[in-house]
Amino acid sequence: MKEFSYERPESLDEAIRVLAASGSDVEILAGGTDLVIAMRDRYREPTVVVDLKRIAEFYPSLVWDGDTVTLSATATMTEVVDDEGINRHFPALAEAAVVVGSVQIRNRATLLGNICNGSPAADTAPPLLVYDAIVVVAGPAGIRRVAIDDFIVGPGRTNLQDGEIAIALELTVPSRPLGSAYERMTRRRGTDLASVTLCAAVDDAGITRVAFGSVGPRAWLRVDETGVLADPDAPAEARAAVFEGIFADASPSVKSLRASPDYRRAMLRVLGARAVGRARGRLAEVRGVS
Amino acid sequence: MSETIHIETTINGRDRAFEVAANLTLLDVLRDQLGLTGSKECCVVGECGACTVIMDGIPMNSCLMLAVEIDGRDVITVEGLATDGHLNALQQAFLDLSAPQCGFCIPGQLMSAHALLQRNSDPTIDDVNEALGGNLCRCAGYLQITEAVMVAAKAGKE
Amino acid sequence: MTSNGLVGSSPNRVGGRDRVTGAQQYVADIHLPNELHAKLVKIEEARARIISIDTTKAAQVPGVRLILTPDDLPHPMPRFGPQYQDRPVLAVGEVKYHGEPVAAVAADTREAAEEAVALVQVEYEALPGVHTIDAALDPDAPLVQDPSSRSGDPFAYSNIRTEFNFGWGDISAVEGEADYVIEREYEFPMVTHFAIEPHAFIAEPDGDELNVWSTIQHPYLLQKILAKMLDLPLSKLRIFAPDPGGGFGGKQHAKLEPLVSYMAMKAGRPVRLVMSLEETFQAVRRSSTRVRVRLGLTSEGDMVFSDIETNYLIGAYVDIADRVAGKSSYVAAGPYRIPAVKIVGRTILSNTTPTTAFRGFGVPQITWARESTLDEAALELGIDRLDIRRRNLPEKGFEFIPGDLPADGDWSQTVDKAAELIGWDTPVPEGRGRGIAIGLKSGPTTGLSYSTVRLLVDGSALIFCGTSDMGQGARTVFAQIVAQEMGIPIESINVIMGDTATVPFDQQTSASRSTVLMGTSVYRACKEIHGKVKTMAARLHGADEVDIEVDSGTVRLTGEELPIVDVVREGLGPLGGEVIGNGEMRKEKEPDHPLAGSAAFFEFNCTAIEVEVDGETGEIQIVKHVTVGDVGTALNPQQVKGQDDGAAIMGLGHTLMEVIIHDDTGRIRNLGAIDYRIPTSKDLPLELISASIENKDGPGPYGVKGISEGSLLCTAPAVGSAVRDATGLVIRDLPLTPQRVWEAMRERDRA
Repeated sequence: MKEFSYERPESLDEAIRVLAASGSDVEILAGGTDLVIAMRDRYREPTVVVDLKRIAEFYPSLVWDGDTVTLSATATMTEVVDDEGINRHFPALAEAAVVVGSVQIRNRATLLGNICNGSPAADTAPPLLVYDAIVVVAGPAGIRRVAIDDFIVGPGRTNLQDGEIAIALELTVPSRPLGSAYERMTRRRGTDLASVTLCAAVDDAGITRVAFGSVGPRAWLRVDETGVLADPDAPAEARAAVFEGIFADASPSVKSLRASPDYRRAMLRVLGARAVGRARGRLAEVRGVS
Repeated sequence: MSETIHIETTINGRDRAFEVAANLTLLDVLRDQLGLTGSKECCVVGECGACTVIMDGIPMNSCLMLAVEIDGRDVITVEGLATDGHLNALQQAFLDLSAPQCGFCIPGQLMSAHALLQRNSDPTIDDVNEALGGNLCRCAGYLQITEAVMVAAKAGKE
Repeated sequence: MTSNGLVGSSPNRVGGRDRVTGAQQYVADIHLPNELHAKLVKIEEARARIISIDTTKAAQVPGVRLILTPDDLPHPMPRFGPQYQDRPVLAVGEVKYHGEPVAAVAADTREAAEEAVALVQVEYEALPGVHTIDAALDPDAPLVQDPSSRSGDPFAYSNIRTEFNFGWGDISAVEGEADYVIEREYEFPMVTHFAIEPHAFIAEPDGDELNVWSTIQHPYLLQKILAKMLDLPLSKLRIFAPDPGGGFGGKQHAKLEPLVSYMAMKAGRPVRLVMSLEETFQAVRRSSTRVRVRLGLTSEGDMVFSDIETNYLIGAYVDIADRVAGKSSYVAAGPYRIPAVKIVGRTILSNTTPTTAFRGFGVPQITWARESTLDEAALELGIDRLDIRRRNLPEKGFEFIPGDLPADGDWSQTVDKAAELIGWDTPVPEGRGRGIAIGLKSGPTTGLSYSTVRLLVDGSALIFCGTSDMGQGARTVFAQIVAQEMGIPIESINVIMGDTATVPFDQQTSASRSTVLMGTSVYRACKEIHGKVKTMAARLHGADEVDIEVDSGTVRLTGEELPIVDVVREGLGPLGGEVIGNGEMRKEKEPDHPLAGSAAFFEFNCTAIEVEVDGETGEIQIVKHVTVGDVGTALNPQQVKGQDDGAAIMGLGHTLMEVIIHDDTGRIRNLGAIDYRIPTSKDLPLELISASIENKDGPGPYGVKGISEGSLLCTAPAVGSAVRDATGLVIRDLPLTPQRVWEAMRERDRA
């Protein structure tokens, strides 16, 4: 690992000041599960590393306020998985978070870091897209809120500008009853990077939202407003046609080690059907309760 | 040499204060600076778990942490499990069930298992397999390891 | 576990305590004063001509003490290898595989060495290489090894390293008796050992002596190779071999010890090199294979002939790959009664990682092809897959390979037990499939193991032997033998290994040999002590030696039984001391044997599997996994189970997920733990049963046979058989990844 100077701001203001003073060769350290590898392998050679974990405003990392939960930049995957409200209202996010790496990784890796890292295979991106998460960004000009769909740009790229820090994710419990589920494909049952990630949500108006990743430069959100996917009795051909449209932009890399483009495309359909099926089931449960 | 930073930490119950270089991982510092070689280096990408330590009760891969990040924290390594030379129940179960073969992955397995049992004293076998899912073993095929964790959990209850 | 430590019990592992406290010292945990840290300089090409190496900038990094390039080594470049002296200390003129070191840096710190490595400028020209069997055998293929280094070798102008021919009977004479002939080809990919401990080495110049620490399995072979290269007497070259953190064959032979030794001698200081996991992947792998099996059977399923061609893609240097290929080809026809067998095997050089021994020693690759072909034959003939195996199995004592050790077990018991445990006769649950397969491997063909046992005056004992305990538990079983024979508690026994200046010679730790060969040596050392104790007892009791028996810890005199330790304490008298026994076990070469030695024993295994296959994704769930081995005697049942469980799961690794992936130019794309997948605790079968057959009919002490490799020999064909049973799909390449199974399903659906 190349030498760098280590900064550990204790407030958000201080962090913004440190960033402004550090120029462009700066890296943000939250969980570090990607950054430390990149620095050891010298893919990234920052002159300054800013550790976010002592910023007072980030604690507690997970706060519910009415129907909105705010997850700060230090909220780990384990905290997401363990939160009762998230499991109740955003079960697909819990399902995605619980398959990110091993226990040790999840204890360290942060939800926001998973998004800021910009991996097309990020497990939590599809559910966050489906749930319309908002990314809260702080910078010299103050705070701005960005829809997750606009925040995610491409491999390794986000909408963050120099001098800015993503400080939180906000999720609001949908006003309409919603069922949702997350699915992924891997090479083994144990810890693995996914070759396909997919989240589906069905609401009681018959609108189905499908987000999927690992099959192109970024995870995408697509919406079926025809009601076909939400309808358990829709003919198979009709459903296939809708999926065809939803997955039209999938462009899995031929270079990937993890799975072939053909397999990934086929699995999108399989996982799509499974996730939508489970989402419908959950919607029925939600309705049953309410 | 990189910037060095003064840190104060508790390692295996002992308060310690020392300087660390910013660009060293916790694993590097444990092994090379503190002589705590029980934590092992294998994949250094957080896949094998041989370097697992427990910080503030939570198991983590020490290869993916900067050493400076333990400033003000409480760290337990495999060397901290036994008390005055007496094996704890988990170590004893590992020994009794012949869980270690070559032994290289065992410190990490023990740390993951110890953290699990601290949090859940009555785990199912699925809980154990999940908790140890980030600790690769190439010798044992896992069964004697997970069995040992179950035996230790039972011993803890009695 | 409470245990008396005697043979047949499962006492706590000797060395187990240090393994659960973190006190166990592996090579990388050892530091010497004044040591330098070495790092390797490599280029990102599988084959390239080296034009120049510029170390100017690297030398300026503070703390750098030595940069070793080929120019700094003797001319011609020293070469080494267990079979051929073909591997250079550093790549000379040409890099022949991805990751072959071209230079090395030693510095005061690891970071400085890393920094300097990045600054060494290697100018090179990439050259086309070969990394598949087809490419290597193309008549226009570039040659991996220089023909001038292979004078007199008929294959010198090809990439074929060696061709093997084995067999018996005359296929053309019996061919007409076959009602049915099947011919199939199966592939087995490149896989790597992935011991959790990466390889590590330290060399320390010490006056006119050299001390070397290595993660090596065979310290004495390393000593021999280094002594020859460095022109040192054996007595001046001391190898320390701390217990390896997993070996599986990958740590048998010298790799970078010669380089580190030259560096240390040049620097005049200790030099340590701890390889990364990625570098370890670039140092060792299993030979990939393509095996063609042509099998003739009667319509009842009796084997008439077997005609097998084995092709092993080996690396750029041979290491032990020729022996792997020869030894496994030799048993390619399996444990069956076959009137005529013809086996042609060949090793094929390529610009890939040198291949070496890996648990099973070539047999898993061959068995995948043979058992799967047999399975296909059974299906086509409408014969039960268990029956076709049972009916061809030799009786105990039958010389199924003429001129070799006859069948050394009642193998039908093993097969029956596996069939019973999987419930072969019960209906297969809906959506599932079952498979069964048999594996057979020759044990060691030669051996030489010395040991010394010192029974001390207080009734404790020391065992000195050159076996490496890399997890298989050798220390424990030797201690059990001494506990049994001396009548002393296992806790009072210390086992000393891993230092060539301290322990007597042992040929090697491989081929599941140690319990049989070193075990016999230790047993004989105990017998020598028994002899001395007898003399002692005769003196003390005024008895005649012929009236005294010494056995299992007890001295039997007329009308009296005394513990050995009591007799020894009394016999040694006031000055104390000890009784020393030396043991020796030799298995000499047999010059006329095709392998230069018959098998000391066979490892025989039957694996039965039940799977469920996801019809949409191709994912395989191993529902039940049964492995049964014929172990002779389970000297330590807990450790036998541990070995069998471990080998079974390792077998599932190469069956379901493991594969080294190259790009078009032969560079490895999945170096390291992220994209080379091995089974985790979440990939286990829903149920795994490891069972043994014990008839006390092995050649080792108490009737033991070697174990440790058996349960991965036929994992792949058993799973393949089960997948076929569940889906009807025939897949002839590994691993059986979800994608591969899905592709086969798609192919079938299209047809």
